[in-house]
Amino acid sequence: MIAKSTQRPRERLTTGVPGLDAVLDGGFLRFGVYIVQGKPGAGKTILANQFCFHHAANGGRVLYVTLLAETHERMLFNLEQLAFFDSSLVADQVSYLSAFSNLEEEGLKGLIELLRREARSRKITLLVIDGIIAVEETAQTKSDFKKFIHELQIHATLVGCTILLLTTASTDSVGPEHTMVDGVVEVVDRRIARFSERELEVTKFRGSAYLRGGHAFRITREGIDVYPRIESLLQDPSPEDPCQAARVSTGMPSLDAALHGGLPCGTGTVMFGPTGSGKTTVGLHFLNDSRPSGPGLHFGFYETPARIVRKAKALGFDFEAKQKERALELLWHPPTERMLDALGHRLLSAVRERGVKRVLLDGIDGLLKAAVYPDRLTHFLTAVTNELRLQGATTMYSVELPDLFSTQVALPMQGISSLLENVFLFRFVEQNSELRRLFTIVKLRDSNYDGTLRELRITSHGAELAEPLGSETSGTTGKSARSLGKVGATKAASRKRRLKLRARKA
Amino acid sequence: MKTVLVVDDEVGLADALGDVLRDEKFDVRIARNGMDGLKRVHEQRPDLILLDYMMPIMDGCEMLKALRADASYRDIPVLLMSAVATSNIPADCTVTAFLRKPFDIDTLMAELERLGMTRSPK
Repeated sequence: MIAKSTQRPRERLTTGVPGLDAVLDGGFLRFGVYIVQGKPGAGKTILANQFCFHHAANGGRVLYVTLLAETHERMLFNLEQLAFFDSSLVADQVSYLSAFSNLEEEGLKGLIELLRREARSRKITLLVIDGIIAVEETAQTKSDFKKFIHELQIHATLVGCTILLLTTASTDSVGPEHTMVDGVVEVVDRRIARFSERELEVTKFRGSAYLRGGHAFRITREGIDVYPRIESLLQDPSPEDPCQAARVSTGMPSLDAALHGGLPCGTGTVMFGPTGSGKTTVGLHFLNDSRPSGPGLHFGFYETPARIVRKAKALGFDFEAKQKERALELLWHPPTERMLDALGHRLLSAVRERGVKRVLLDGIDGLLKAAVYPDRLTHFLTAVTNELRLQGATTMYSVELPDLFSTQVALPMQGISSLLENVFLFRFVEQNSELRRLFTIVKLRDSNYDGTLRELRITSHGAELAEPLGSETSGTTGKSARSLGKVGATKAASRKRRLKLRARKA
Repeated sequence: MKTVLVVDDEVGLADALGDVLRDEKFDVRIARNGMDGLKRVHEQRPDLILLDYMMPIMDGCEMLKALRADASYRDIPVLLMSAVATSNIPADCTVTAFLRKPFDIDTLMAELERLGMTRSPK
């Protein structure tokens, strides 16, 4: 057994593909041989070239060898459209050559010889072989192909370069090359109902930890952006609590009083209620207390930043000024695209970048709509809320209940109320032919609170909780005090009738 | 032209080292284990031996001891190659130099230069 003192640090090559290095625990290992596989159009070539240009920009030298049909001219023409492409690096630091004729004429041995000589003479530190399937087809036997891969591994070390092999094979068919290489990265373009989602998965990575499972990615003009699955990336949350026992004001004195001093810092509060019941209004109060020293973030799906500013203005708040002094940021994500992890990363990076301490996630069903696999959402939210707590951010989530009036509270998502520390319930009540908003605290972490039902009054000066309602009221069902009185009278009358009938029978 | 004997049971590596050293204009012989290596030494005395440590039949240290026991081969420089650290190699396995696997060509060439194995003119 090798003593610990003899363990050598494994040098890594960062990829320049946002998110991929996090999946690979820091990047590809130097001298490793890796397969990147996927169907045509899945993004292999872009991923490899993005890595190449990043590597070259950091002083490395790259050789990109093609064994298949796409000409270098066509490939370069397509790559020119992407932001990472830097023509000044081509030829000197990133060289392209075709080895197809060499493979055809001299076979595997000739190809190895060519690669070794070219890599050595050009002092290559990253070698990409695009179309490794052509080598497999040329090999007389499986053993010859395995020998080729083995020799590549040896030369990777001797020449001092890392090798990427691009292939169209999929993990459904595990070829001999899969058992021999140091790692396999698969890229797929998955069709889910009418939507498509690109996904990347590392199925093998020798000598290193990595984030298992599928990770969504996107191809834009900037190149590839990988969004590591949030619950996988944040699977080991720290038990630290930067907030300790402090309280955070909700921006509503009457609500703070009901909470016995405000929300516990770093906690998550879910606000359940039907549309128009006052959830966003309470949330805007919370954000109005944002300061440059304790900034806020509105992360919404349905209302544009301009509408939020107008809504806040109607309550007497100047959100434009708060944005100017960098006390508040309004991020809007119309729920048109399904990429849950992209949203999660955007939320967390917005919080980390500005040290945000107050978050209003307005319309949690926007996340639900972005989830290709809705059963992930609880795990996703667990990871997000843990991370927000670690950042010292106190968060309010609004969840819309489907029914304006109902005797039951049907939560649109399972498990969310147990996941979050505090629960507020908003309801409408009909009283004297008028709809009134009711509010109650259902749960508050490790703390006493005033759980009485109160009317939530919204005026041009903001919202406030009125005095507790009368003892007869059952506002969470939507029934008014008056109607409850009638129900009570009816019950008393029927009891009298039953007593009269018994007396007659007797 | 200087002669280098590469003794390694890892066929791919021995062949690859052979290719690299031939590029550098060395005359290269290859053996698959210590026993085979001793046979090659007797056939033609090399100027340097690149010797793997862990091999079947006869390992690198056993071959080295046999070589050092013969006065006519005692002074041949031996560069021991191994994936294990020097601390895991027996103390009586005294070699001229040690290369920890994996190593790259530049490291190998620098070691050869240090041992006075200057490349033949190309």
